[in-house]
Amino acid sequence: MIVSWNWLKDYVVLDVEPQELARRLMMAGLNHESTTTIDDDLAIDLEVTSNRPDCLGHLGIAREAAVLYGQQLRLPPVAPRESQPAAAELTKVAIECPELCPRYIARVIRGVRIGPSPDWLVDRLRTLGISPINNAVDITNYVLMECGQPLHVFDLSKLAGRRIVVREARQGERIEAIDHKTYELAPGICVIADERNPVAVGGVMGGAASEVSTATTEILLEAAQFDPAAVRATARRLSLHSDSSYRFERGVDPDGVDWASHRAAQLIQELAGGHEQVQVAAGSVDVGRGPTAREPVVLRFDQLRRILGIEIEPAEVCRILRALGNTERSVVLPARVEYRGSSQVGQIADAGSVEVVPPSWRADLTREIDLIEEVARIHGYDAIPEDVSVPMATSARSVEDWVLAEVRHVLTAAGFDEALTVSVVEEAWSAAFSPWTESPPLVASMPVLRRADRLRRSLVPSLLGARRTNETLSNPVIELFETARVYLPRAGQLPDEPLMLALASGGDFLHVKGVVEALVAALKCPDRVEAQPAEFELLARGHGARLLLAGEVLGYLGPLSAEGMKTFELREPATVAELRLDLLIKFAVRVPRYEPLPVYPAVSRDLNLQLDANVAWSGLERVVRTAAGPLLERLEYRDTYRDPQRVPPGKKRVLFSFALRDPQGTLTGAQADELRDRVAAACAEQLGAEMPSV
Amino acid sequence: MALDDFLEELDRLTAEALLTFNAASDAEALERARVEFLGARSGRLKDAQKILASVDRADKPAAGKRFNDTKAAIEAGFQDAGQRLAASGPSTAQAAGLDITLPGSRPRLGHVHPITRTIEDLKEIMGRLGFSVAAGPEVEDEWHNFEALNIPQSHPARDPLENFFLATAARSQPGASGGDRPLLLRSQTSTVQIRVMEHTEPPVRIISLGRVYRPDTADATHYPMFHQIEGLLIDRHVTMADLKSVLRLFARSYFGGDVHIRFRPSFFPFTEPSVEVDMSWNDAWIEMGGAGMVDPNVLRAVGYDPDQVSGFAFGLGVERVCARRHQVTDIREFYKNDVRFLEQF
Repeated sequence: MIVSWNWLKDYVVLDVEPQELARRLMMAGLNHESTTTIDDDLAIDLEVTSNRPDCLGHLGIAREAAVLYGQQLRLPPVAPRESQPAAAELTKVAIECPELCPRYIARVIRGVRIGPSPDWLVDRLRTLGISPINNAVDITNYVLMECGQPLHVFDLSKLAGRRIVVREARQGERIEAIDHKTYELAPGICVIADERNPVAVGGVMGGAASEVSTATTEILLEAAQFDPAAVRATARRLSLHSDSSYRFERGVDPDGVDWASHRAAQLIQELAGGHEQVQVAAGSVDVGRGPTAREPVVLRFDQLRRILGIEIEPAEVCRILRALGNTERSVVLPARVEYRGSSQVGQIADAGSVEVVPPSWRADLTREIDLIEEVARIHGYDAIPEDVSVPMATSARSVEDWVLAEVRHVLTAAGFDEALTVSVVEEAWSAAFSPWTESPPLVASMPVLRRADRLRRSLVPSLLGARRTNETLSNPVIELFETARVYLPRAGQLPDEPLMLALASGGDFLHVKGVVEALVAALKCPDRVEAQPAEFELLARGHGARLLLAGEVLGYLGPLSAEGMKTFELREPATVAELRLDLLIKFAVRVPRYEPLPVYPAVSRDLNLQLDANVAWSGLERVVRTAAGPLLERLEYRDTYRDPQRVPPGKKRVLFSFALRDPQGTLTGAQADELRDRVAAACAEQLGAEMPSV
Repeated sequence: MALDDFLEELDRLTAEALLTFNAASDAEALERARVEFLGARSGRLKDAQKILASVDRADKPAAGKRFNDTKAAIEAGFQDAGQRLAASGPSTAQAAGLDITLPGSRPRLGHVHPITRTIEDLKEIMGRLGFSVAAGPEVEDEWHNFEALNIPQSHPARDPLENFFLATAARSQPGASGGDRPLLLRSQTSTVQIRVMEHTEPPVRIISLGRVYRPDTADATHYPMFHQIEGLLIDRHVTMADLKSVLRLFARSYFGGDVHIRFRPSFFPFTEPSVEVDMSWNDAWIEMGGAGMVDPNVLRAVGYDPDQVSGFAFGLGVERVCARRHQVTDIREFYKNDVRFLEQF
């Protein structure tokens, strides 16, 4: 809302500098955006919150200033000289859609001379950035900016049947508005029509056909109320936003509709021909529901302290409420009240209260808390102390927070950068990888970004997208991880939103698997990660793995397939993994238990076995562990050899070492050799392993 | 030679040898010293051994013993000097051709995203003030995102174009979520406050944080997805003075120095009174976020009696806090994930 400094001073004596006024208004709820000098006036731009449509006119701002500076608000007089015939004899109004337009007031003004507005009026509109059109239209804009009630003037002679019908638009109806664009109308849109056609979009904009021109001699002046939600919907639907729609969307003062109509009629009479020439028809055609009486609201004085934490004198409370336009119905001052019970006389404290009827322009004041806020903002929030002692309370870090912090520690130590990607992805990405559900993804009714409207079921596609971004930037090392939720649809309820950890790396399968294993170990999960084959289109055939932890699916891991790389337009090979964080949270051990360190030395032995090429390490490991028994402390895979010069076709040689330790005493070399031989024998028996001669 | 003279000669030899060994500043100098004193052919110890032969026969046993002691002492001195040089390194290192000014081989360390760092900092401070972290779903129903937060159906904030509602077509598919209830991506983390209050009796002292979604066109200061952190304290006798004081403690802890808090009236449906919070910073007021006393309608919606308990809530945009702290001028950088950007934090 742009306020003219000169104009504002019509309504309130302002003995302060403009910047001081702007500061006070800001501290009372009207944010100061800027002040611009325009000729010999100042345009002060104030931000008005959506609950305060009363401040969308100069009078409303002046009222705030008057309250803040203890001044009187001076309302302009409204008294057009009326003459017969009465308005009701000159036009008719019918409202067919009272839910869209609860009230319509028409006045008729005849004998007008349409021409330019006087300079003072043009200057004020110019300060507000409004271009002058002609005196009648300028006056409607002036009154709009004075009190916040939008108005419209029609050339009465151009209204078919010389009457108004307020109705819903019909399918296929169109209107050329005064901006000379044509709008397609539809049911649900409130139109002001004459006997035949729409002549205005109700509450939004007038039509070109009936607009006032220099040829106009008789005017129908509209002052109406429109349903806020309907105006908002219409303005949005037509992409047509005006000063009128802005105010109707927020709600106008029901008592101010007729005042504004009177005020405009008076100004038109004065400025478009004068009292001799211009006849304002007596009365108005006032159709629809008039203003209803407001319910009184009680403010208990002790509630101010309870909510604000400060005392404010009841006299000051009452002064503020009255100055804001509330009608004081009764006041009970705080007192100790005597009472007589059956056998005793005592005292009870009465905190006292004030009962007021809020003004018509403050639809936002209906409850005690609303009045508390009014008193607080006028009294000033600076009075509230910032150094009271707040009671202490415990707070504990959740296991989830701890695990997430550990995840970040481990992954950054492993050289991964944390990424944050958008939760909603485009269809191709959504379809590229969905290991957690076969249900189709949830879809937003409009894209969140570009084409992205699918709530993601996996973080992996987003990380691959980030990887591509980095590839196009020629960044040499792109190691990314993210912890975020995925959205898995569930019938009849909110989606499941498990937390996931995803990795996208330039390293190979074993590199990423090693990172996962290190993470699981760092969280002290009591079990090791197992891998099973798993096939996905995104992952290279035969290289995808399902990872299990304590028998539950922890996640998926694998290098991208050629098609996968193509989907994400990647040049370099990449390996991805996605893990369920809820499982890690479940198995993580936050407080590990100390285990006494061994006293006796360990003995290491190596084994180099020739096996069938299709024997998996997991199978070999199982046999070794069983054969070695409880003295096996550590088993380490070393390498696999497939040198065709030395290893026969269909075979491979696997080198591994293991540490043996006896907690009860020193293990001798001979004992270790015997265990190694037992392991080799078990491998030979169960896996057909041979000890290569070289 | 007289015994005394010989013994004196041995003492002088020992002292000189140890002095020379200790003075050797590199391996080369030590080697020269070794040749001088311990050289097999013409070392000074060898010379002394030749003199031993000329000592009187009666004195021979004593002289021989002292000679052996001297020899052991000088050899030990040489060993010590060698070890000293090996330990102090540089000369040995240079001798081996290492350029110690070369850059070390650094392990590649990853980086935590600046938004996460900011969230962790804020969480930690609020944790010290007794606020526990609470979480809730990002896909919400209208009750938790609007109704319970005192945002009635007619409120402009509920406009379908102001929110990311989920498409009904997707919801009506078999197996899809939500049944007939409209669902949306939450537009604020206050939803979590409702969920916690619905299941908790006062007192409540929580912070909720996470992703929220609003249909803003992405530009330097807007993004359709961003992070909020919101605090909530509900108890008997909670006032706006408590709110101001908690925010001041928070600001002093996060920004350091003697920060002051200023309230400007504002409007949010779920708080009343509602305020914009400013803090003094380098002799200016800068905006921190929004706050207020929890609206009685919200308290009633979760089954609390607004005459018995009161409370405050406040919210900050994490991106804004983070951008200001690190002087990031375009918040889209946070979601581009350019590793050159991530490596700066």
